[in-house]
Amino acid sequence: MMKLARLLLLCCVAAMNAAVAADDETKTKGGQALDTRIQTLKKEVIELNRDLLALEEELLFPANTQVAVFLSMDVGTLFQLDSVQVKFDNGVVANYLYTDREVQALYRGGVQRLYLGNLRTGSHELVAVFTGKGPHDRDYRRGATLTFDKATGPKYIELQIRDETRSQQPEFHVKEWQ
Amino acid sequence: MAARRYSIAMLLGTLAIAAAPLRADERRVVQNPHFGSVLFEFYQDNYFSALTRVMTEQKFDRLAPHAEEAELLRGGILLSYGAHQEAGRIFERLIAEGAGPATRDRAWFYLAKIRYQRGYIEQAEDAIARVEGTLPGELEEERRLLHANLLMRREQYQKAVDVLQRLPPRSDWASYGRFNLGVALVRVGEREAGVKLLEALGRIRVPNEELAALKDKANVALAYAFLQENQPARAKTYLERVRLNGLMSNKALLGLGWADSALDNNERALVPWVELAHRNAVDAAVQESLLAVPYAFGKLGAYKQSLDGYETALATYTRESNRLDEAITAIREGKLVSNILRANPADEAGWFWRMQNPPDVPEARYLTQMLASHDFQEALKNYRDLRFLEQNLEHWSRQIQVYRDMVANRRQAFAERLPRVLSRERTLGLERLRAAAVARAGELARIERETDTAALADDKERELLERLERVKRALAGAPDAEAAEKFRRYRGLLAWDLSAKYGERLWEAKKELRDTERLLSEAEERRAALTQAQIDAPRTFDAFAQRIETLRAEIERMRPALAQAAQAQEHFLGELAVEELARQRERIAAYVTQARFAVAQIYDRAVRNEEVRKE
Repeated sequence: MMKLARLLLLCCVAAMNAAVAADDETKTKGGQALDTRIQTLKKEVIELNRDLLALEEELLFPANTQVAVFLSMDVGTLFQLDSVQVKFDNGVVANYLYTDREVQALYRGGVQRLYLGNLRTGSHELVAVFTGKGPHDRDYRRGATLTFDKATGPKYIELQIRDETRSQQPEFHVKEWQ
Repeated sequence: MAARRYSIAMLLGTLAIAAAPLRADERRVVQNPHFGSVLFEFYQDNYFSALTRVMTEQKFDRLAPHAEEAELLRGGILLSYGAHQEAGRIFERLIAEGAGPATRDRAWFYLAKIRYQRGYIEQAEDAIARVEGTLPGELEEERRLLHANLLMRREQYQKAVDVLQRLPPRSDWASYGRFNLGVALVRVGEREAGVKLLEALGRIRVPNEELAALKDKANVALAYAFLQENQPARAKTYLERVRLNGLMSNKALLGLGWADSALDNNERALVPWVELAHRNAVDAAVQESLLAVPYAFGKLGAYKQSLDGYETALATYTRESNRLDEAITAIREGKLVSNILRANPADEAGWFWRMQNPPDVPEARYLTQMLASHDFQEALKNYRDLRFLEQNLEHWSRQIQVYRDMVANRRQAFAERLPRVLSRERTLGLERLRAAAVARAGELARIERETDTAALADDKERELLERLERVKRALAGAPDAEAAEKFRRYRGLLAWDLSAKYGERLWEAKKELRDTERLLSEAEERRAALTQAQIDAPRTFDAFAQRIETLRAEIERMRPALAQAAQAQEHFLGELAVEELARQRERIAAYVTQARFAVAQIYDRAVRNEEVRKE
């Protein structure tokens, strides 16, 4: 009985400790050393990824020809985005079909970098065609156009989907970032 | 379970704070598409992409006016990723650089949390004391919980109670805080206060499984505390509140039996113990019940059943011990981690990843609790991250070769095109054209100075001028008054015309010259650019090539380092599991000793009884 009682006691203490040690990081020394090594490695690989992404961008999309098209939503309750097509000077450069997760990310204020490419300096025309569901669950297809000058610096263009509360219709704008 | 939920909640908090004041149903407006694109990844739980994207944007300095917020987000992601040191440096830097009050408060909170988790209590206290305002949303509750935990470390329990009192009663954070505090109070002997807290928790209405588990845990903790104090009747009241099929049900059944046994009602004690003895023998409480059942039979004088019970227990222990040996061998062969990952596939890196499905292998049965523990999950996440990063670098290793070829191709194309362009440029004869332009400018200056209207005559007028000249010469040889008069009139007429058109023609000529000079300047600029490109392009190619080689070397240096670390981590995880299994084996060995001792006692008693009978 004594031994059983001692076991019981152990069981009890274990039950009590389990909770207190909830966020108590008790790691072995070997485990900690390995953890530190892994932390350092992760940090290095992340920084390497940053440098590689920067290299990729500078190599493939140099600043003097770079053009980026972003897409954002302001509220977005009047339009449920399914897909978008982007054309530069009548040539299709991007066709994108959205997942629910991406649409949710847009609703929350995320901005998608829809296209990153190159354009010569001079005048260009962008045409974006949005498809989805409009008010009353109706199929909706709208376009937005922008004629712009591409100078020697990078060009950032944002396609904005907004709710026009007065007309209860979605609106599609194209904004040039300076 | 509560511990697991708690650690998940801590992680959730970490990322919530990173994007504070955002909640799933809220939206925010960004003033910079580059920062927006970071959030786009972040909101999809693509933490690795969000992290590398934010760092790339930082490198290009494209995050204004969200630079501070972006840095806070980076720190938050890194923290949830287990990179405490780097995250800590970020928050310290944000504070040192004079971030705004909201960012500063969040950064201090983060620092407090990191320091607390790493055991730097004083520094954590210092950090939390520097949070001046109220943190957004649930973060404020988390801050209070952290504050209470710090006070508990200092054994300032009353202050901890006060801090927790200020949390909303329905807050999950408050429940976890109260549970921890109650247990801590009981442990340090302040039983009454601890029991009060746990009792309140043991009676709450639970809206979810997490809190139901916590409630069970509070009741079991209370019951065992009272069992220890030899108050079995009171212990029973708590145990009867525990759900029959929850995670704590086995412990509760075991305790219930002990409470009845302590009340000298061994027959009643058999009810929960027999029920328990039929459950999965992997569980410690079930294993203990295998001893408890024959113990109760012995107390009731049913020695035959008691002996049978001990024999059954011994057989079960032997079986379990053998299985544990097999499980240890399997883990040593390194299959555990790969089996876990196979049972839990997921995309991107595992900042937020938790193992949901234990692997369907024999050894997993013995590791349920350990697999769910915070430390094991963190270590497993580290392993998974390392494997993800290995794949990531494998991708870059291929990609960098493509970029290497690309630069080589561009260099070659440039070298091939350059002579053609140069030769075309030479055929233009820019110097000759420039000299002509200079001469023309001189000529126009003379025309203007001398008002030489005839110099700007068109072809027809020039022809007329020549004809008049011929007439003039003819008249000089054969004078004719009438013809001379005609000549004089025509010449006057032409002079008049030329004079009338002179202003416009001079303006036209000057404009033409200006256009010519502009075109010439452009051509000269192009030539200069071409000359510069002859110098710059090879330099650019060289710079890219050098960057590529440096990065390639880094990739190739890190790949084996990652593989080695992953292997070491896999070994570490295996050892954690083996240690746990060894502990279980030791426990079973202790049970075996007790069972054998009890069997010997029964035989002893039988022998003694036989001897007494013979006498």
